[in-house]
Amino acid sequence: MELEPIVSVKGLNFSYPKRDVLKDVDFELHKGEVVSLLGANGCGKSTLIRLILGLIKGKGEIKIAGRDLHTYSQKEMASHIAYIPQYHNVPFNYSVLDMVVMGRVFKLGLFASPSKNDFDIARTALKTIGIASLANRAFGELSGGQKQMVLLARALTQEAKTFIMDEPVSGLDYGNQMRLLELINELSSMGYTFLKTTHYPDHAILVSSRVVVMDEGHIIASGTSSEVITDAMMQDIYNIDAKIITYDDKQLCIPILKGQR
Amino acid sequence: MNLTNHTKWIVVSTLLLILFAILSLLWGQYPIDFHTFISYLDYKFFGSTNGDIATFALLDNIIMEIRLPRVILAILIGSSLATSGAVFQAMFVNPLVSPGILGVLAGASFGAALGMLISEQWFVVQILAFLFGFIAVGFAVIVATMVTNSRSTVMLVLGGVISGSLFTSLLSVIKYVADPYSTLPAIVYWLMGSLSSTELSNVLLLSVPMLISVALMIVMSKYFDILSLGDEEAKALGINVKLIRIVAILLATLASSLSVVMAGIIGWIGLIIPHIIRMAIGPSHRVLIPLSAILGAIFLLLADSVSRLALSVEIPIGILTSLIGIPIFVIVLKNARAAWN
Repeated sequence: MELEPIVSVKGLNFSYPKRDVLKDVDFELHKGEVVSLLGANGCGKSTLIRLILGLIKGKGEIKIAGRDLHTYSQKEMASHIAYIPQYHNVPFNYSVLDMVVMGRVFKLGLFASPSKNDFDIARTALKTIGIASLANRAFGELSGGQKQMVLLARALTQEAKTFIMDEPVSGLDYGNQMRLLELINELSSMGYTFLKTTHYPDHAILVSSRVVVMDEGHIIASGTSSEVITDAMMQDIYNIDAKIITYDDKQLCIPILKGQR
Repeated sequence: MNLTNHTKWIVVSTLLLILFAILSLLWGQYPIDFHTFISYLDYKFFGSTNGDIATFALLDNIIMEIRLPRVILAILIGSSLATSGAVFQAMFVNPLVSPGILGVLAGASFGAALGMLISEQWFVVQILAFLFGFIAVGFAVIVATMVTNSRSTVMLVLGGVISGSLFTSLLSVIKYVADPYSTLPAIVYWLMGSLSSTELSNVLLLSVPMLISVALMIVMSKYFDILSLGDEEAKALGINVKLIRIVAILLATLASSLSVVMAGIIGWIGLIIPHIIRMAIGPSHRVLIPLSAILGAIFLLLADSVSRLALSVEIPIGILTSLIGIPIFVIVLKNARAAWN
């Protein structure tokens, strides 16, 4: 018997007053997968993620571990799925350790404060991500890449096994982008399941067990990167010319700019 | 910053609070030296008559009737205002927010003035001040949800601005129609804030809801860290954002409107105390909220001592906290950017 999918979406619709964002979307996320959601700006990938997290409400069925999303409390959701937003500025300049320990708070009783144990878990998470030395730095003074790593460490402290990331590499320099992808790979081999949106076909190729392509509120393809990421698909979703080649057994996406072909 | 460091700050500031509370009992137009104070305590609690009974009777009068209620009141109001300020700042994700942000102070002022206009009874004034504090906040929330059904805090702030202006205008109406020889001066003096019109029984009665709301805000402090990250992220971190926001607004409104009920308008504490702590120790609400409660109390105790001792007449405490608060705020703002940017 096949395992219950972690996330199962059926016939999901979402619209703003004047615009349909998602139309009849079916989607599943299974344990151990690393799924990259690929698509142009405004195709609905962020909306799909926010619906799955229960941050906004749409029409249709969303099940988390076989149970209807609406029967979950915020607390139960956080113990199943950790959300890693794009790094951002925080109005109050918390220390890195304080920031990471916030992932533990939903587990605490009303009258409890984070204990030594919670701080130990936070330090361990920082170590796992490889940024233990940042623990006492102020979050606001970190680089974009470091901030993104801190948010990933915070997700680890939630002890959820599924991570949802929205454009995890946006704003990071090339080296940090690659380091983050390595980290996703590493965590995936430790048993974490990932659903992430991305703007980069190359990143979807580098780190995904499955690529899901969205266009204008529909899911138009789902499969391995070599099945899904093709010349025709790049033309379809981004309206650009691109050549997908294989070099040294690795798939590469080479965009061809107008006037350079 | 780790746990033990937090605890250390809280212990040190609590000891300071106790020290200043005792000093405030001794300082005044009739200064009491420490030695006499100890023999008075000995007389009071152990019945020892190691001194002049007539002096003890006088001390008993000064301490129990005049200074103790004032000291307790200063502690309660200082901590209520500073804590509410810190909570509102966390909720609106803005370090420049003060306890009056949702109109509670304007509403309570109007209520008190209305009470003085229609009744001679002090408890009518207090009840109306309390009621209108809540009505003003309710009005702000209703305006905010009427204008838009998004739960944006910006709309709530705008609702507060509207509500605050409305009740300030209504207060002007009351001042305009009030008897200029009796009621108007009473209203004006009351709005300047004062810790003097206090009886111990009254203070003790109102201290119960104030202490409870301050204590609950301290309990909730771990949630304020998360709330300040924005609604969506807070939700994803497993927090019931809506419930916490409602409870926090209720508690902060309760604490600040009770402070108006007991002492009129005392400004700036809710703004500068959390700022000073953020600058000196850090922004984590797990230490910011409890320390605000303690340092707010110390600040108002000291300000009250100055108001009693500086001149031969008592300076209204609200004027004094503004005069002390504004320069502190300017200094703090100059240095604060690192702590909240």
